[in-house]
Amino acid sequence: MPKLIKNGKIIDNTYVWQQDAEQEVTSNSIVPAQKWLSEKDTIGSVVGIWLEAGDGVEFLQDIDINQFDVIGVNFPAFTDGRGFSYARLLRERLHYQGEIRALGHFIPDQLGYLLRVGFNGFQFNEEVNLESALALHKPFSIAYQGDVADPRPIFLRR
Amino acid sequence: MYQYDAIDQQLVEERVAQFRDQTRRYLNKELSEQEFLPLRLQNGLYVQRYAPMLRIAIPYGMLSSTQLRKLADISCRYDRSYGHFSTRQNLQLNWPKLEDVPDILAELAEVQMHAVQTSGNCIRNTTTDQYAGVIADEIVDPRPYCELIRQWSTFHPEFAFLPRKFKIAVNATESADRAATQVHDIGLHIKKNDAGEIGFKVIVGGGLGRTPMVGVTISEFIPRADLLTYLDAIIRVYNQHGRRDNKYKARIKILVKALGIEEFRSRVDAEWAHLKGKESTVPMSEFDRLTGFFSEPSYDTLENQPSILTSKLADSAGFARWYERNTFEHKKSGYRVVTLTLKKPGQAPGDATSEQMHKAADLSDTFSFGELRVSHEQNLVLSDVRQDKLVELWEASKEAGFATPTLGLLTDMICCPGGDFCALANAKSIPIAAQIQETFNDLDYLYDLGNIDLNISGCMNACGHHHVGNIGILGVDKKGEEFYQVSIGGASGHDASIGKILGPSFAQEEVSRIIQKLMNVYVENRSEEERFIDTYRRVGITPFKEAAYAKAN
Repeated sequence: MPKLIKNGKIIDNTYVWQQDAEQEVTSNSIVPAQKWLSEKDTIGSVVGIWLEAGDGVEFLQDIDINQFDVIGVNFPAFTDGRGFSYARLLRERLHYQGEIRALGHFIPDQLGYLLRVGFNGFQFNEEVNLESALALHKPFSIAYQGDVADPRPIFLRR
Repeated sequence: MYQYDAIDQQLVEERVAQFRDQTRRYLNKELSEQEFLPLRLQNGLYVQRYAPMLRIAIPYGMLSSTQLRKLADISCRYDRSYGHFSTRQNLQLNWPKLEDVPDILAELAEVQMHAVQTSGNCIRNTTTDQYAGVIADEIVDPRPYCELIRQWSTFHPEFAFLPRKFKIAVNATESADRAATQVHDIGLHIKKNDAGEIGFKVIVGGGLGRTPMVGVTISEFIPRADLLTYLDAIIRVYNQHGRRDNKYKARIKILVKALGIEEFRSRVDAEWAHLKGKESTVPMSEFDRLTGFFSEPSYDTLENQPSILTSKLADSAGFARWYERNTFEHKKSGYRVVTLTLKKPGQAPGDATSEQMHKAADLSDTFSFGELRVSHEQNLVLSDVRQDKLVELWEASKEAGFATPTLGLLTDMICCPGGDFCALANAKSIPIAAQIQETFNDLDYLYDLGNIDLNISGCMNACGHHHVGNIGILGVDKKGEEFYQVSIGGASGHDASIGKILGPSFAQEEVSRIIQKLMNVYVENRSEEERFIDTYRRVGITPFKEAAYAKAN
């Protein structure tokens, strides 16, 4: 069974990240958000959807996204930081409560920032050693800005 | 100046530990070159032509003498006993060893310094006027606001992987813009509205590089309490919609231009509507706290123009020249702002040896309450010098090579490190600066020419700000040979403009001769007291072009 880091623990990954839109959809699938949107009346029950960089989150505004156990955010390259804004908007604006899972080419050294913007699931590429990644699974103990964990900037906490 | 508390200190120490671990994993090959690259860049570490380059942050240019001594000491022990002050008020070391960098950062942390976000596609060091807090016509001291922005931007979790680098500069005077705010990603002009409230005019989408642009106004007035939420809104729009397919089209200026300012503004406003009034709204208590760090030093009650000053001004042409060029009016009577120029002929513009750094630190202790500033023009500033001590300071500055009395003149050049150091450069820039300094070495002539900004960059990335020099020189590569393109008519102040290219580029040895021709055209055409840039704006490019490309008889 493939593994992932979720809520600070290495666990089995029971979901299937459906990268290919043509692939068969099962109830374990995390399907492309755009596909889900266009087929939502017929697609049936899925565990979640995932956002491609460039999708934005505006199109989810009128959808009950808390029906999903997971919303994935793909990083086409770890230097592509759009997903940081997406996660934050999912939490702070769309009030999504479920798992936000980082997918694709992000790296363990980004975990501190990823956690702060609201990610709590990390499905790394296969070559990443999850035990070593877990060592980086914490932000600095201090943050100047507010974030998803605590919206108060440092000037409200000093 | 700002002093760290336990919170600030802990954060830089955790950063040192993090970078030490990243460097260790890189050297152990646990981190790939590609993965280490943005991580080291976010800590100011480049890999240059011959060695790594470490860019140390000097937030808005403020330095204590203790910090400068530490920089002197670090450059001596870990580098080749000199450093380069950059146009964005930072210090660059050109020869550190990669494996030493964690130790250097640990030493910097001892004096409340770091190299956080001095490079990489993130929010960079915020810059401001080097005369902040000591000039009469300032609306308010911009430094507390710079510190607010520094803290907000430091390790901002959402904006560490932007499409491209992001630079913010703050100005607080109507009379001048010494921070070149209009060619920054965001330029902030501190304003007071009719009700006397403090806020910011916000300019967005300026920048140099391959597609130089002067920024456009996105808001005439954002109340200061809303500054951070407004910045968050702008950068959130940019982070999601800025281009990521081509690094030369990735700066915010390209997005602003593509959408048009109206559309860009409406997107920012839509985003801001969600953030305005929320937790990141800055309370008055925080402005008070930050302002408290920049309170006035204990000035003595003094008269302007003491006799020791006026008699020396009358006796010594050399001193009078230095006083006229290198000192500036202070808001307190009996004081003067003094620039220690780093433009000594024979030394690269902006370079200071370890010994000079120690000397400058000593001078600041003796003459200026132990603080210094770094200027955008790559000089050092002592902001609070008693007028009756100016003669003494002048003598000491001459000895240390800080008294070249050419501030603002043709040879007070801005110059990037260029092909002598930088891996990106197409051509060398330092030898051009040296050539110009050698050619234009007659002070009387330089004084007669008056204020001229001459800026040199070794490549299109424009670190030497050539686009906004009254005269800009850009190094280009022509089939493996170094040539220089000359532009004219740029400016970086409130009247910011992008220079126009004169024509085909010139060989290295021709550059001074061409500048001489441009100066001749200026002298022939100027009306009394008219600055070079104003003559250019009046007569246009044609006479300059004709002179530069005229066939020799």
